[in-house]
Amino acid sequence: MKHLTLADEIVVLMLEDDSGQVHPACTPVATTAIAGGILMELALQGRIDTDLTSLFIIDKTPVGDALLDETLIEIAAEPTQQSSAWWIDTLATRHGDLIDRVLARLVTAGILREEERKFLWVFSRRAYPQVSGREEREAKGRIMSVLFNDEVPNPRDTLLLGLAKTAGILSTILSEEEVEKSAARVDEVVALEEIGRSVGLVARQVREAVTAIMMTPYP
Amino acid sequence: MEITSKIDGDLSVLLLGGRIDAASSASLDHAVNAAIGGGIRHLVLDMSQVGYVSSAGLRSILLAAKNAKAAGGGVAVFGLQASVAEVFNVSGFGKIIPIAADDAEARRKLVG
Repeated sequence: MKHLTLADEIVVLMLEDDSGQVHPACTPVATTAIAGGILMELALQGRIDTDLTSLFIIDKTPVGDALLDETLIEIAAEPTQQSSAWWIDTLATRHGDLIDRVLARLVTAGILREEERKFLWVFSRRAYPQVSGREEREAKGRIMSVLFNDEVPNPRDTLLLGLAKTAGILSTILSEEEVEKSAARVDEVVALEEIGRSVGLVARQVREAVTAIMMTPYP
Repeated sequence: MEITSKIDGDLSVLLLGGRIDAASSASLDHAVNAAIGGGIRHLVLDMSQVGYVSSAGLRSILLAAKNAKAAGGGVAVFGLQASVAEVFNVSGFGKIIPIAADDAEARRKLVG
């Protein structure tokens, strides 16, 4: 893996250090965040562009990453131009295995290990502890840098912050006081990128739908 | 995209024409880098002839602001057409890059 894509980075950030599992707070929107990360990476690599209403291909040349290139083909095959929010929702819905695919590639790249762990003494489930933790520390460091200095943020870090906010992991990176202190800056930076706004919108809709289901009483 | 420049000390006014999108953003990047490399610290972007800005275009403008700030200056814009103003408003770009009514106000916002 040449470098971690935004989709890779948000998965690393969503994993709990202790359990090697996706943080429960992230689970409902994990696939949404990954779909957003894929589109963000394609935008940064000059393959797609967006405006207030549409997402469109500007260069069909493969980037050399299977996940990104498959998505590029999928976008090219869609006969009608759609918004970035539509694509985030559609990719997350069509590809429920996105998190498994990203976990697998992170294991192949030597960033995560795959382990079988017992829970409740009997049941087994896969855990994905980090090999060194360096990638997580680096991503967290970039997020902290965006939040706590007044530099104009670079596009990659702006988009990463958008994913972190969407996934609900800022409260795991920051103290309560830091969350409060940085709230305005988070909103200001995330709003700069159209795909960042869209992934936040889709994630809110997913969370609302999950909440509605949980609140529906059993007959 | 057409770009013409007017230099006034360490300030340059770049008149941009057409669209600022993925296809043209490299031209903007090049013009900005050339200006800053040549000692320009303050950039005023005359957007009166720009009819469309995509996300890639916004990224280019943001990068210009980042690089100008690193050089001890900044970027201001003026002359936003309605559709472009909407893009700037929705993305909150005005919080990062001053939006002025005209060239004179843009210069005031940058250099006082």
